[in-house]
This record gives sequence, structure tokens and C-alpha cells, in this order.
Amino acid sequence: MTKKIPLDLLDDGSALYVSERKIYPRDVDGRFQTWRKIAVVVLLGMFYVFPWLRWDGRQAVLFDLPARKFYVFGLNFWPQDFVFLAMLLVIAGFALFFFTALAGRLWCGYACPQTVWTEVFLWMEQWTEGDRNARMKLDAGPWNRNKLLRKGSKHALWLVFALWTGFTFVGFFTPITDLAARAPLLGSAPGWGNWELFWVLFYALATWGNAGFLREQVCKYMCPYARFQSAMFDRNTLIIAYDPMRGEPRGPRKRGMKGAAERRGLLDAKTAYDYVLRAAHYVTGSVVAPGTTAVTDTGIKVEPLPRFAPEELGDCIDCTICVQVCPTGIDIRNGLQYECIACGACIDACDDVMDKMGYPRGLIRYSTQNAIDGKPTRVLRPRVFVYGLLLLALCAAWAWGVGNRSPLIAEVLRDRNALYRETGDGRIENGYTLKLVNKDVKAQQFRLTLQAPAGITLVGGGSSGGTQVIDAPAEQVLNLPLTLSSPKGVRGKQEIVFKVQRIDGAAQADVPSTFFGPM
Amino acid sequence: MPDYTVPRFDHPPRPLAQRLGAILWPSFFSAAVMTMVFFAFVDPLALRDMTFPDMPLTRTLGYSIAFFMFWLATAASSAFTWILLRPASRYNRPLPPE
Repeated sequence: MTKKIPLDLLDDGSALYVSERKIYPRDVDGRFQTWRKIAVVVLLGMFYVFPWLRWDGRQAVLFDLPARKFYVFGLNFWPQDFVFLAMLLVIAGFALFFFTALAGRLWCGYACPQTVWTEVFLWMEQWTEGDRNARMKLDAGPWNRNKLLRKGSKHALWLVFALWTGFTFVGFFTPITDLAARAPLLGSAPGWGNWELFWVLFYALATWGNAGFLREQVCKYMCPYARFQSAMFDRNTLIIAYDPMRGEPRGPRKRGMKGAAERRGLLDAKTAYDYVLRAAHYVTGSVVAPGTTAVTDTGIKVEPLPRFAPEELGDCIDCTICVQVCPTGIDIRNGLQYECIACGACIDACDDVMDKMGYPRGLIRYSTQNAIDGKPTRVLRPRVFVYGLLLLALCAAWAWGVGNRSPLIAEVLRDRNALYRETGDGRIENGYTLKLVNKDVKAQQFRLTLQAPAGITLVGGGSSGGTQVIDAPAEQVLNLPLTLSSPKGVRGKQEIVFKVQRIDGAAQADVPSTFFGPM
Repeated sequence: MPDYTVPRFDHPPRPLAQRLGAILWPSFFSAAVMTMVFFAFVDPLALRDMTFPDMPLTRTLGYSIAFFMFWLATAASSAFTWILLRPASRYNRPLPPE
């Protein structure tokens, strides 16, 4: 660990503008990384597989925008169901509050598309360009055949994957089997429409740019969630945390020494955090984290640390591997930072080092601030219960609402042109348009009856005095002109009700309206 | 290489009037222009007939509702920009004591 790791040169330090430093996350294995890989496989698996699944003879998940219908497995949604989409967003919000208050930024570490696709792009980068050191060397070196070949194959992989991603994305909106059959160069005529082509390429470009190049900059500079973490965190929230009482003062040492807890006990918090602050200002390790942390930004003048005898050192050997593995390039030892996406790479890396040194694991661990500071922790606290109950209630209400949606929508609009008209024989007529939506996936018959005073009847209602039977094909919106007729002498405004009932009795709707005669 | 260990220039918080002004004024201006352009082509009464035909909306009310909806959207966008441009040190603070 004495050999300095060569660092990249991007800026001579003289300009005020500091270009973004490229981060080369070092590969690491461990518990958290295993969970992240599982999350990548499950989530991306869902994305790439769902459009290919079938349900009732149609695509299982299809957002059919031209027809204004969304299909999600057994459910279908109409524009009238917008309220459920709004509710779903509220549920998503509460889920975010709940999980963040409980266990920090789980979303960022495991579920955010930005993280998930970046992870896959990083794997491809590792396959083609090698590990962290090899990548840094390759970038710093001159362009030669090797570099061209490695960079070229990386971008070829990225590009194919990005294009497939764009194709899958469009496949959620256009039946994907048909889209695949019409693929340019491979499929049959007529090929893709201009907008299909545009969205495939656009989404591919966005994937390539975000996961290949922007990466952690999206989290640091574009994501609002990171900036609101302090509103959702408290001292009982599980976070990725370094234990300075055990780790400080940091420094290299020979192997074979006992762990700090056994050898000299834990420091008090004040001393430990002071050591952290001073160490952050006079970096001794081989790798420096880009400085955006409170510890280094405040501009406080601090004294350099004295030289500690090996027996005085804490468990942190200052190997900086926790910094090297960090996908956002921060130093977690500087404390909680909004840049931390809670991926746990530093935990896995540090556990590995602790194992090698023969120290107990958990110098960096997934814990609460209270636990780190040696205070009692209460994970199940009022705010967690409140968020949890609200979330549960909303989910139940949503499921109930979706399950009990009426498969029928009926609306009646009065004709605008005239209030009423008189026929040759002196009867009074009013015109209406019935908008009838059969949301069912099968054709249905509906019975329309009229409930009205003063002898008002439905014209064309047959001999039974105003009943019509309407055939509605599956998932169709019908616009039916209706005429009501009343005997001579009906005057003024009359309240009426159109009653629409499905023949099988599974749904019905009462639509109130008005009938006008001469005033 | 740039020295990441020296304290970086960290702009102090700006006055409240400046923050509010920088968020509300540009968004107000954009909303006004959008309202004018939008209603140069669309009649609010036609819009009403397509959406809520039973509501007693007048043209003036239609213009007003649309303007405030535009302003809400543009102001939200400006506020988002402000949040993203605040320096990291405003966020990277220790958790508050219990």
C-alpha cells in the first residue's frame, strides 16, 4: 500500500473552471454488491421481458397511446381512469418517504434506472477495458491499436445494448412482435415509421449518454431526490456510515497488530470527528475524493494531524479503497453526503480489508447515526408507522378502486342547437347524444330505459314505451343520437333520468338530464 | 491535477428577494408569453366544450385559469433549477440532533 497510485490529469489547476473529474470505480464483491446484481437482473429482466409476454391473446404490458388505452396484464385502463394514475404517483411518493426514512436511499442504490443501467455499462467497460488501474492507464496512454480496439469494442457493446434498450422501450407502446418483424435491414416492409425510428434512436442515445458518460453526474447534479434526503433522514435512519470512533486516527501500519477496540478502546466522538476534519484537509492517502463535502468546503482553518505511534492508530489503515470503489467518487469517511447513493460498495470493500487485517468487520457499515455515536437506536418510530400506514391505506384503496371500477361509462349531452322543436302534429322533441363506453374486453348488450314525467318517451323505443337495446362491441366508445318526445302541452324544464343497464346486470349507470318544453 | 483539498469558493446564500425574484419573475414572463401564443390559436370556449361542457366558464376565466396553470408549471421548473444550483455544502450538513 505504499506505492502511490497514478492519478489522472484533467486540469492544470490554474483555471477557475474545474472540469468534471472522471471516476473509475474499482470493482468489488460482497454482500451488498450481490444484492445489487440481483436487483439489476430482476429489474432489467422485467424491462426487457415484459413486452414479450402475452395475456389473453394480446401483449401483456402495452401502453397503446393511439387508442388511449393501457394494458397491464389482466387490467386495462382508460383515460377516465386517470385518477388511478394520479393515485399511483402519490403511492410512489409515500413509498419513497417510507423507505427513505427507514433505510435511506435504497432507491438510489438498487432500483433507480440510472444506477441499474450504469452498472451494466460498467460491466461492459470492465470486460473490454479491464479493471480500474487498467482503465486509468488506457485513458492516460497514447492512441494505439490496443486502445482503439478496446475502446471500439466497448462502444460497440454499449451501442448494441443501447439500441436494444431503445427498441424495447418503443415496444411498450407499439406491439413489440410487430415492431420486431418490421425492423430496418432485418425485417419486412414497410419498416419502422419515422416516429418509431426517432424514439428508438432517442432512447438509445439517452441510455448511452446517461449510463456511459454522465453516470454519477446525473445523481449529483440532476437528481432532486438526493437534495431532499435531509428532510427524510433522521438519526434513526439506516445510512452508510463510517465509524470514526473506531477508525481514527487513520494510517498505514504493519500487519499483526490487534484491532483498535481491543488495543486502545474507542475514541470519544469529539476527538474522532476532529481527526476526520483534519485528515480531510491534509490528505495523506493515495487517492483524493473530489471535494464537495461539508468537511472540506467550509473553509475552516485546521491544524495538521500529529504523527501517531502505531499503537495509537484506529482501525482505518487509510488504504483509500473505499474511495476507489465509490461510483460517485466521494470519501464516506467525511460523513453523510448527499452524493452518496447508498450502494454499499465501500462497506464491501472495507469489510474485505478488515478481514485481511484480522480486524472485525463493520468499520464502514449500514447503520444509524445514533448507533455509530453509541446511542440507542429506534428504527420503528412514529414517522415510520405514519408513512407505513398511509402507504398501506393508499395501496388498499387503489386496489379496491381498480377492482371495483364500473365496466360501463354513460354520459348524455343535450344537443346544443335548439332547446326543443315542435313536430307537425304538435309534439315536443328534444335531441341528445348518449356516449356509452363498454370498457369490457368482450362485446356486451345494454338496455336503455327512460324515467320521465308527463308522458315523455324515447323515440324508437319500440312498443314497450321507451326501451332500447344497444349492442356495444368490446372496448368501444359509442355515440348514439337519442330523441325524446312529449305530448303537446308539456311546458318548461322537466327532470329526467336515462338508465343504462348491462343485460347481464353486471353494471348500470343512471344519467340525469333535462327535457325542455315551451316556457 | 486540481487540488481538491483546498476549500472551494462557496457562494453565501442570496437575499430572499433575489431568490424569489429569480424564480417567480422569469416564470411569470414565460407564462404570459405562453398564454398569449396559446390563445392566439385556441378559443377557451372551444376548449371548455371539449372538456367540461357543463361548467359555466367564461373566456376571461379561461384565460386566467390557463395563465395560472402555465405559471405554476414554469415556476415549478425555475424552483427546480434553483434547487439543483445550490452548492453541495447547503445539503451536506450533519443530521440534526434529536
